[in-house]
Amino acid sequence: MPSGHIVVDGLSKVFPSQAGDITALDGIDISIDSQEFVSIVGPSGCGKSTLLRCIGGLIPPTDGEIRIGGDLVTEPDPRIGYVFQKAVLLPWRTVEDNVMLPFEIGGKPTDADRAAALDVLELVGLADYRRHRPGELSGGMQQRVSVARALVTNPSILLMDEPFGALDAQTRDTMNVELLRIWDESNTTIVFVTHDIGEAVFLSDRVLVMSARPGRIHDVIGVDIERPRSFEKVEGDETFWSLRQRIREELH
Amino acid sequence: MASIRRPAARGTTVPRFGLSEKRLGQVLFGASAAILILIWHLWASTNSPLISPTPGAVLQRLIEYVGAGRANQHVWITVQEIAFGFLLGGAIGIGFGVLAAEFDIARRVIMPYVIITQALPKFALAPILVIWFGFGQEPKIIIAALIAFFPLLENTFLGLTSAPAEMIELFKALRASRWTTLLKCRVPHAIPTIFSGLRVALMLALVGAVVAEYVGANKGLGAQIIVAQGTLDTELMYVAFVLLTLLGLALDKLHGLVYRLVMRRLYGKGAATAADQQPRVSV
Repeated sequence: MPSGHIVVDGLSKVFPSQAGDITALDGIDISIDSQEFVSIVGPSGCGKSTLLRCIGGLIPPTDGEIRIGGDLVTEPDPRIGYVFQKAVLLPWRTVEDNVMLPFEIGGKPTDADRAAALDVLELVGLADYRRHRPGELSGGMQQRVSVARALVTNPSILLMDEPFGALDAQTRDTMNVELLRIWDESNTTIVFVTHDIGEAVFLSDRVLVMSARPGRIHDVIGVDIERPRSFEKVEGDETFWSLRQRIREELH
Repeated sequence: MASIRRPAARGTTVPRFGLSEKRLGQVLFGASAAILILIWHLWASTNSPLISPTPGAVLQRLIEYVGAGRANQHVWITVQEIAFGFLLGGAIGIGFGVLAAEFDIARRVIMPYVIITQALPKFALAPILVIWFGFGQEPKIIIAALIAFFPLLENTFLGLTSAPAEMIELFKALRASRWTTLLKCRVPHAIPTIFSGLRVALMLALVGAVVAEYVGANKGLGAQIIVAQGTLDTELMYVAFVLLTLLGLALDKLHGLVYRLVMRRLYGKGAATAADQQPRVSV
């Protein structure tokens, strides 16, 4: 089974709390194909981030199971790259050393690893900034460094948790276009959590719409818009607007 | 889009009365210090030199005392006590701080001791330490270590445990071991906090060494103060105060220097601004 294939089967997640247990996720079933781009949208508190963290092996499910490439997920999987809402760069390291972090944690970095770091920095357009510290970069550039760090180990799956949520609209548009290019060049499966419906439709093959309390998959919507996509093309496309409208209505 | 954002430098010059803020501060400081010294002079002049010598007399005595080389051994003894006390207390503080931060069980065992030793006034121990160790440097080093240790334990613990949750989660996602997370995430994150602990510890070690010398010593600046008190040599007392103040300033400068070097190594050239976030007296 291709290692970018994700199956979520009967997943439930309950957080115990003094005021009574909170069911964050309830009976989630999803199957995501290798190299697919899937977005998850839903109201805040619907558990979309929790779902992503379960897939990433950061928290254990209460019930049900997750498989990646057929293997049961019990801990963070080396085939997964994670991009968080914040860039989470280490301010005391240069851009390049931040991207090298996954290799350093895995052992002693090789020359091939260093070459890979340069390649991904090239891919996100920041090779010229590799000697800078994160504090000298704009928010958009920082987030691109964190994308590079997630990609450097050549993962089969990229999990992205509202990665561009904190960026201004213009930077976010640029990042979306770049993300599609990177996805195209890297053959990864991407699971992308966002609260921006337009972003979800623009990027994805399928959009999972979640409902809150308990978090359930409310609907799965296929986005039948031709690739490669650009803003000019997509915004002139009837399907884009009707899907946006449909998802918006489902969220209310 | 690819523009570099540089942090604005702190203490940027805002002209006032035709002077930069920095220059104006220096002028105001100089003027107020001159007024204070004048008040001291006037007050001392109307009193017996036994109560207080004048600033001029203190300066003259200081030059004589230092010039004759009489300060050397006392300063050296006190510096040694501070250094050993600081190193001993610092090492223990950092060590237990790491243990307490890493292991809950260690924290539960260590913290009650910390609270008890903090509640105990450590200077009160000086007489018994003199009985145990005599009039040498050991009791002073132990007192200095005992009070230097707490700020380091506290700041080490605080620095190590305050790494942002998302940073810890990143390391978890990258399958980092506890040891790797400590070394590559928590420790570098804690460096500035540990350094402010070191600064406090250094000053406390100085106080500890001097006060312990009061209780029983024949050498060291604290011992000189007690000797001066016994012979009603108020001038010599003042000389010792001045030397202690200069020593304190020198130690603080040294700390600042090391801190800046470390910060520059960690954060690169932009570290100067990060280092400046710690308020620091410059002379």
